[in-house]
Amino acid sequence: MKNWDLIVIGMGLAGLTAARTAVEMGAKVLVVGRGIGSLALFGNTIDVLGTVPPATDLAGGVTNWIAAHPDHPYARMGWKGIEASLRAFCELFPAPYAFAPDGEGNSLVPTGAGTLRPTYLLPATMVAGARITAKETLIVGFKGFKDFQGDTVSLHLQCRGVTLPLPRYGLEGLTALALARLMDGVPFRERLGEAIRRQTAGESRIGLPAILGIKDPAGAMRTLEEVTGARVFEIPMLPPSIPGMRIFHRFRGLLIAKGATFLLGNPVTGAEVRQNRCEGITLQNPPLERVCRAENYILASGRFLGGGLVSDMDRISEPIFGLPVLQPASRGDWFGERFFEAQAHPIHRAGLLTDRGLRPVDAGGRVLLKNVRAAGSILANHQAIEEHSREGIDIATGFHAAREALLS
Amino acid sequence: MTATTETPKPPRTIPDVCVRCATCMAVCPVARVTPRFPGPKQAGPGAQRFRSASVASVDDWIELCTGCRLCDTVCPAGVPISELNLMAKAKYLDERGRTLRDLLLVRSDLFGELAARFSKIVNPVLKNRVVRRLLDAILKIDRRRDLPAYQYPTFRQWFRTRTAPADAAGRPEIAYFYGCFTNTNEVDVGKAAVQVLEAYGFAVTVPTQRCCGMPRLGVGDLKGAGEMGRRNIDLLLPTVRRGLDIVFSSTSCGLMLRHEYSAALALPGAEELAGGIFDICEYLLGLQREGETAIRFRPVLRKAAYFAPCHLQALNIGLPALELLRLIPELDVHPVEAECCGLGGLYGFKKEKFSIAEEIGRDLAREIARMKPDIIITDCEGCRMQIHRLTGLEVVHPLQFLRDALASPA
Repeated sequence: MKNWDLIVIGMGLAGLTAARTAVEMGAKVLVVGRGIGSLALFGNTIDVLGTVPPATDLAGGVTNWIAAHPDHPYARMGWKGIEASLRAFCELFPAPYAFAPDGEGNSLVPTGAGTLRPTYLLPATMVAGARITAKETLIVGFKGFKDFQGDTVSLHLQCRGVTLPLPRYGLEGLTALALARLMDGVPFRERLGEAIRRQTAGESRIGLPAILGIKDPAGAMRTLEEVTGARVFEIPMLPPSIPGMRIFHRFRGLLIAKGATFLLGNPVTGAEVRQNRCEGITLQNPPLERVCRAENYILASGRFLGGGLVSDMDRISEPIFGLPVLQPASRGDWFGERFFEAQAHPIHRAGLLTDRGLRPVDAGGRVLLKNVRAAGSILANHQAIEEHSREGIDIATGFHAAREALLS
Repeated sequence: MTATTETPKPPRTIPDVCVRCATCMAVCPVARVTPRFPGPKQAGPGAQRFRSASVASVDDWIELCTGCRLCDTVCPAGVPISELNLMAKAKYLDERGRTLRDLLLVRSDLFGELAARFSKIVNPVLKNRVVRRLLDAILKIDRRRDLPAYQYPTFRQWFRTRTAPADAAGRPEIAYFYGCFTNTNEVDVGKAAVQVLEAYGFAVTVPTQRCCGMPRLGVGDLKGAGEMGRRNIDLLLPTVRRGLDIVFSSTSCGLMLRHEYSAALALPGAEELAGGIFDICEYLLGLQREGETAIRFRPVLRKAAYFAPCHLQALNIGLPALELLRLIPELDVHPVEAECCGLGGLYGFKKEKFSIAEEIGRDLAREIARMKPDIIITDCEGCRMQIHRLTGLEVVHPLQFLRDALASPA
């Protein structure tokens, strides 16, 4: 008995994008996640391809990149397909908390380590962080808040930094979530804004850790800007990621409203495969097992952290379907000489090979499972970390996989 | 397969499975509102590395975990975080000794029937301000928290004395686990369950049952909870072995029966019971989906908010009640986008935890104020108490709402 048109395995940005694309097309969708997915960890801005120099034409840059990297996941849909998927993503976030590029192409935004990182789509609360200069910027950290070291950030950005005690006694040691929750309340924002204003010395941009509220980040930013008279921006920090949770909540809210089913908290432990088709997947919810069936499946289970890929001492494998994984010939070739190298470690390129419709294939290019598609970081031949392409790959392949699954 | 190539499986509770990613810190309702609790990452796998059976507990904040289990659901590494917390809480309370309050509050099954029998006397006494001040001062049961009123006749008595449908003999049978609170405090939930099951064409039986043991588990009384579990397994397994499915209407009882008897308590027979027991909405939705018994509802022109309790999320069966409610024509129903009502079962009744429970619930209340529903629907009795207290609105179990929307009144 097939209860769903599509089952999406994985709740990261790729899985959520696939699920959302499918419900918008009228499909009945089940999303299963072993955990909540990578958005809670890394979700901040949307990287598409950071190797394209800032303030240059991204479309041209991506197109050239695809020509030079014909095996890259982006080659499956080309710039046009990527652009369509990014547009759909942006439609999910209407103003005031909208995502948009800051000017032409990529821009550089500060990180919680005090470096600058290229990225493409910025949420409204991070726009003022692009194109900052040392002289005009003040970095604000909070005393006792361990996930953001304002001193480190300001030291590296060579701008002024302050560490504020929080404006209510006893809040030191709070978590990112607790701070973000307080920021949803207007009185707290106003008090914090006032405390920051007293510290400013003519700076016109103020950077804070990314805790400007869960429900109303744009409102929090507006209040702080009104009180301080400066532009305010969020800086991504150590996990958990509050901006990522905003993205997750937006997707989940929409998906549940549109009738999708969410099963969160149990791993998929196996798949029934018959004549090159997946007939069902098994979810383990001890002591029970549950088999879920659909016409189509999308595998967006991530890499090693998400459990989409696993490794033993010798080999990397894909645990649910046992799909072949493109990987270095032996373990000795997994890593380069040093941890920080300009070139990506070969293991980063490991992953699944697919056809144009994102169906997993073997080394000879033969489609292995007709109704299963792969999306997101589990795909081979990208280096999301070095390329700064993680979210772009998630969105473009999630979008493409769902459309291919339902339209073909 | 040869034994030598098998990697031995580490015990489930080994803290090193945790990769310290902090995902759980994004959902913990207690850490959301107070710095007194360090959050699941630290309280569970973090502190576990320093715990030893031979060394006394030092982490008194472990008591502040409500046992909502949201951390378990989001963890990408499958760490049984809430179980680590529970074990640590049990050890801490074993060493410190449980208060008279804990001993009294968890015995709802024993006192409930008696209190219901004398509800005419008990209810006014429990509302009396002097009594509440005494309970507050002596037992540390916060006087600001309304104590639920007892009802008489109990569900069990109602069920025993009512007239079953005339054609009951020919119908497929189904068993119902009602739980203590339905029996003595919310009898209408049980009535609604029976009436809806009968509308779906079942003959309902109510096997003898005891408190599921969740309140005892909540205060870290593993021995007491295990004892309740063993009794229930003995009482319910014959029903399962007769080929009958058992449905429950309380998500916390359900989580206990279906998962904790094996996961936390490792009771013999727990797995067999788990295979035969279902959330009532999950069960009915299954029937609707398979088209076996699709029943119709009459239009209900109301604006409702549906809240998904934490223990429903821990059951990991999706939102079957919401899907059933969506079958009611004209009903405007939306899920509440907030996590945890804060009550945490008995947790929110305790004086030292009252303010934490209220602070957690405030987020939910704010969201409901934004939605402006005229009724709230949720599967858990604790959530119903808390949401009613926070909003003053009518709060019902999904089955009560479904029963009232049956095309031909039950």
